[in-house]
Amino acid sequence: MTLKRTCDGYVRRDFLRVGSLTATSFSLANYLQMASAGEIRPGAKGKAAIFIDLNGGPSHIDTFDPKPEAGDDVRGKFTTIDTNVPGIRISEHLPKLAQCADKFAILRGVSHTLAAHRLGSEYVNTGSRPLASLEYPGFGAVVTRELSVAPELPPFVAIPRGNQRAGFLGIQYAPMNTGASPTAGQAFSVRGISLDNGMTVEQIERRQGLLKDLDRAFAEVEQQEQLLVGLNRFNEKAFAMITSPKAREAFDISREDPSFAKQFSEHAFSQSCLLAIRLVEAGVRFVSLSLGGWDTHTDNFTKLSTKLLPELDAGLSALYVGLAQRGLLDSTSVMCTGEFGRTPKINTRSAEGGRDHYPRCMFMLMAGGGMRGGQVIGESDDTAAGPRHTGIKPDDVAASFYHSLGIDHSKEFHTETGRPIMIVRDGKVIPELFA
Amino acid sequence: MRLCSFVMVAFLASGLLPWLAAPEAQATDGGTLPPIFERFAAGDPERGPTVNEVPNFQKHISPLMGRLGCNGRACHGSFQGQGGFTLSLFGYDFDADYKALMEEDSSRLDTRDVTASLILAKPIDADVHEGGQRFQEGGWEYWVVRKWIEAGAPYESRQIEKLSRLEVLPNELQFTDSKQTQQLQVIAHWENGTSEDVTCLSRYQSNDTSIAEIDEAGLVTSADPGDTHVVISYDNAVVPIQIIRPASLELAHNYPPLEFNTEVDRLVLNKLRKVGVLPSDVCSDETFLRRASLDVTGTLPTAEEVIAFENDSRPDKRHAKIEELLSRPGYAAQWTTFLCDITGNNDDQLNNFMPQGVSPANQWYRWIYSRIQDNVPYDVLVEGIVTATSRKPDESYREYCEAMSEICRDATGEKFAERPGMVHYWARRNFQSSEDRVVGFAYAFLGVRIQCAQCHKHPFDQWAKSDFENFERLFTGVQANQNTRGSDAKRVMDEMLSELEIDKSLKGNLLRRELAKCLNEGGTVPLPELVLRNEPVRTKDKNTKTAKGAETRKAKLLGGEWVNLDQDDVRSKLMQWLRDPNNPYFAKAFVNRVWTQYFGVGIVNPADDLNLANAPSNAPLLDHLAAGFIASNYDMKWLHREILNSDTYQRSWLANDTNRLDKKNFSHALLRRLPAESTYDAVRMALASDEYALRAQELDIDRAITRSGASARAPGRDDESYALSVFGRSVRETNCDCDRSSEPSLLQTVFLINDTAVQSWLSDPRNSWVSSVGRKLQLGQTEPAVSKSTSAETPPAMQGFIKQIQRLDDRLDEAQAQGNETLVSQLQEKRSELRKRAMSVARKNGQQDQLRALMGETSSPDPESAAETTASAIGSQDLEWLIDQAYLRTLSRRPDNSEISLAKKYFEEEESPTAAIEGLMWSLVNTKEFILNH
Repeated sequence: MTLKRTCDGYVRRDFLRVGSLTATSFSLANYLQMASAGEIRPGAKGKAAIFIDLNGGPSHIDTFDPKPEAGDDVRGKFTTIDTNVPGIRISEHLPKLAQCADKFAILRGVSHTLAAHRLGSEYVNTGSRPLASLEYPGFGAVVTRELSVAPELPPFVAIPRGNQRAGFLGIQYAPMNTGASPTAGQAFSVRGISLDNGMTVEQIERRQGLLKDLDRAFAEVEQQEQLLVGLNRFNEKAFAMITSPKAREAFDISREDPSFAKQFSEHAFSQSCLLAIRLVEAGVRFVSLSLGGWDTHTDNFTKLSTKLLPELDAGLSALYVGLAQRGLLDSTSVMCTGEFGRTPKINTRSAEGGRDHYPRCMFMLMAGGGMRGGQVIGESDDTAAGPRHTGIKPDDVAASFYHSLGIDHSKEFHTETGRPIMIVRDGKVIPELFA
Repeated sequence: MRLCSFVMVAFLASGLLPWLAAPEAQATDGGTLPPIFERFAAGDPERGPTVNEVPNFQKHISPLMGRLGCNGRACHGSFQGQGGFTLSLFGYDFDADYKALMEEDSSRLDTRDVTASLILAKPIDADVHEGGQRFQEGGWEYWVVRKWIEAGAPYESRQIEKLSRLEVLPNELQFTDSKQTQQLQVIAHWENGTSEDVTCLSRYQSNDTSIAEIDEAGLVTSADPGDTHVVISYDNAVVPIQIIRPASLELAHNYPPLEFNTEVDRLVLNKLRKVGVLPSDVCSDETFLRRASLDVTGTLPTAEEVIAFENDSRPDKRHAKIEELLSRPGYAAQWTTFLCDITGNNDDQLNNFMPQGVSPANQWYRWIYSRIQDNVPYDVLVEGIVTATSRKPDESYREYCEAMSEICRDATGEKFAERPGMVHYWARRNFQSSEDRVVGFAYAFLGVRIQCAQCHKHPFDQWAKSDFENFERLFTGVQANQNTRGSDAKRVMDEMLSELEIDKSLKGNLLRRELAKCLNEGGTVPLPELVLRNEPVRTKDKNTKTAKGAETRKAKLLGGEWVNLDQDDVRSKLMQWLRDPNNPYFAKAFVNRVWTQYFGVGIVNPADDLNLANAPSNAPLLDHLAAGFIASNYDMKWLHREILNSDTYQRSWLANDTNRLDKKNFSHALLRRLPAESTYDAVRMALASDEYALRAQELDIDRAITRSGASARAPGRDDESYALSVFGRSVRETNCDCDRSSEPSLLQTVFLINDTAVQSWLSDPRNSWVSSVGRKLQLGQTEPAVSKSTSAETPPAMQGFIKQIQRLDDRLDEAQAQGNETLVSQLQEKRSELRKRAMSVARKNGQQDQLRALMGETSSPDPESAAETTASAIGSQDLEWLIDQAYLRTLSRRPDNSEISLAKKYFEEEESPTAAIEGLMWSLVNTKEFILNH
């Protein structure tokens, strides 16, 4: 292996051997070892993760951080209800989540300063405040790199697509986008991984047989060239994935036990939650889901009460409960967040008012992976205008998320230019989550 | 080296007045001062060495701290510091470091109670110091620091001396075996004529420890054969020393007299001789044609072209082919994409600049394309970017708007090529601050990663923070965004807005939307323009009261002269400096990048990191190309010809026993994955009909290589965007050649073996080669063979569709019966819509057959009867022609006998002739031979 200096003299291994003229330091086994991902740190409970992205930035006051005592201009139209955890109350439009509040922790008074959708989104999807000069990898990309996965499965799936990109880690850690959401009761497939183009398994096997016969141009050097080794590995994995029933069946929610599936509503988000459970159960490491429409500058209350909250309530509660029923909640870390909260003060631009971007105060939900549910961590002030005390940074939540998966958030990766970058630059694990 | 005695400079001041003068050591005879560890070797354990010399902060203390690792990133060089003590990362910020040491109440340095000074107490005590023991009490390092403190820790920022040269002896190392050693000697030559042996104060690093290691004392130990550099740093100097251990000693001593025809080959062979490596043979004609077509024009040769080249018996046919390729539109598109990568043509970063609907990215692409096509000299092209103005000389704002409005109505961006300046370069969102501009400019046109020096001394180059800041001031005078317009434009703009009846108070996107409307209606709209603001430059930190006010009217070219900023457009000075034949980077960066495109590895590698430590693997070669490029007046085609016509470019990938492991001296071709655009275009062309392929080659139809901008965040959802993002097209975002990825990935393979896009190119009834062959050989329909599991039951998801279609069919019958043609066509349209939707659902569920059957369409042929026809349907002559063609259009060569018989065998096994041809094509585009340029 070539040892290549990085910006500060750190020595980095590089696959491309450029200088040496002997093979003594090259070993295929070594390469394969490096190419395959690291192992889970013993003791960590999370073996997989699900990330739910509430695009647009949901109001915290109208959901998980209600302020019933605040004035009319802040409180809003909704009342609060009890949950199955004494002392925790949430919005009346989240009744199903209220009944499983023991399964997740509510983080209140999470705070940052990026009020634009894209920047806020990059922040909460990476755990590091975005930089112009560098793109941080999303959670899923890091998990893909750190945890290994069965050969016939994709490591990272985004339904239908997400905000987590591979960033400087490189395209190989990018998610596999499903491109669409599943529909209740129907088979579902993903771009490229199932045989939905009329080909049969027998046919693709015949083709693969021909390919193996014909692909002999580099046969003599096949084992010496890492590029060729890599291409062969990808071919085997892709072929395994496509021809094995495992990936296809994991995506096919119509195979789900009807009594289990019926807990999920017909809505695309709920069905995506069902798909996420199937994927995690099959061994996929990271699934990201998204539910958009939270940018309620106008008609905040109608949009929330008639559409957004019922959809979220149905899907997310079914996800938590379903994971628990399958015995997967303890080994699956679940994080749910928007890119920011919304202004406590209700604007008057539309008849019933709306709320605007507000990163200074927001909520996040954390569950599973050994994190203790049924608790509220952090607190916002009387009008939910900011954290009452120090506040929780997205970085801290990210550090905790990684911690639940046994990934050391302070580990450093190196960019292509050799710059050392910590997974989460500035975060501390939140101890209450693991208490 | 003999020991010298010292004479002391007059001792004018006590330790209390250190800044006046400190006694400094000098060699009596004007020779070189011996190493400081000899001068400060421990004498009396209490009082130390008996020297009167006072160590110098710049020359001794600061380098010592660097060498001991004090200012490393993990230690006090960290931006947060360590234990409250922060040093500048990698040193060379003497003022800041001295200040940090002298900080009041920090006890880091105590001239009254010297031994209590933390910089003495900490490094000797492993227990108290988190960084462990750095030197021993009583050792020479200890005494150097202690004597300096005892003398009052003198330092005066005005006395910083300039290092004129760092000499390393020997200046090149040749080893013949492993575990051989060689001690380096490092001598600092100062501008005042003095010199000192600084071997024990320098830092050492090996660029490849598998070839040579170097310890902290400068002792080099050889390891594997190969060549690399060790890098020596002291003060602001960075010196690479080449280390060679030949792969074959015998070869190195008795190198065969190899013939060469070009200067490039001569220089490459010179290096190969040194490392004892023989080059591979020149590759076959077919390999050459495929390689050069992909590299020069971004896609494969057509099948016909391969045959024609095979039959061409002219001895200079390769040369002629190179000329032909360089004159194709594909050449212009390929190298426009290359320049768009480097200059950063990115939709995201440009998306607010022009009125909505206008694509600056298209304009950018076309502007460069037209210049590449006309082979405009590289420096002239760059000048159009670097000194870009929106208006032509003497053009009024209104005239500019009239001309540009017309240009903006051309969605292709082609008309923009007429404009002299490519202002969009300056209008990108990530190119607005002067820091971003320095970084982006240095990346694009110098191939230098100056960003390191934004915060600290560049660890591998001469650049200090001050160099960055002095250079940065050249970039402060330009403004270009959606709101910038010249001072003479305000009134005209108001007039124009009135004429267009646009509310003058509109701003931002609202205004852009209105302007877009008027633009589309043919109006002249007040467009933004690049403006120069020749105002005093504000210092970054308003609170610092430095005397910068006066100084900031000057800027300094990187490693060059000072430039007065009181002139109209300082960018012309910048351009003058760039194209000056003595500029150390401009030509080199370009020739090295182009070389990297052709070989996969740069002469300096990575190609965007020209720095002193990252030495070229073949300096004479880089010098030759750069000098020739300049001498040709920056003629880009000269450069391409110079490279393409060399044997070095035309070598086979097949290695011999001596060069198998060489990846940097160009002794054989390296296997390279095709770039994203080439992959997309090559797969499509290989699978497309002859006619389509030819049109694609001529750029009659859009290709991936004609895609203008890049957008990392919203890559688009169509097949092309998907494929390009999976294959790592440059995102053009971070000023790094690594924005483009040539790494293979799982999703790439999944795409090639099973994506619906590839499947549809394979079987597309209009444009695919398979279907055109099917027609030619009369093989019947080209629908892909379908799943055998046809069931008569209606799948639940289909029931709704089927009912609706049946209802429509009934109504259609009625309408036809009535002769109501309007209604018939309406219904037919509806039915086809519905069918499309039903099919797409069916496809997701793998139920196309059922659906077709249910809709009363002919189902696929029965596999058994098909099997009968497969072998017999195609005559043996046709079959051989077909296999031959399949190879020519994918691998650009003819199949050998064993390949022909394997393919024939497959044809016998496959269900239908069409399925067999598709299967063959599928297999060929999935070979490594296809996806790699070799």
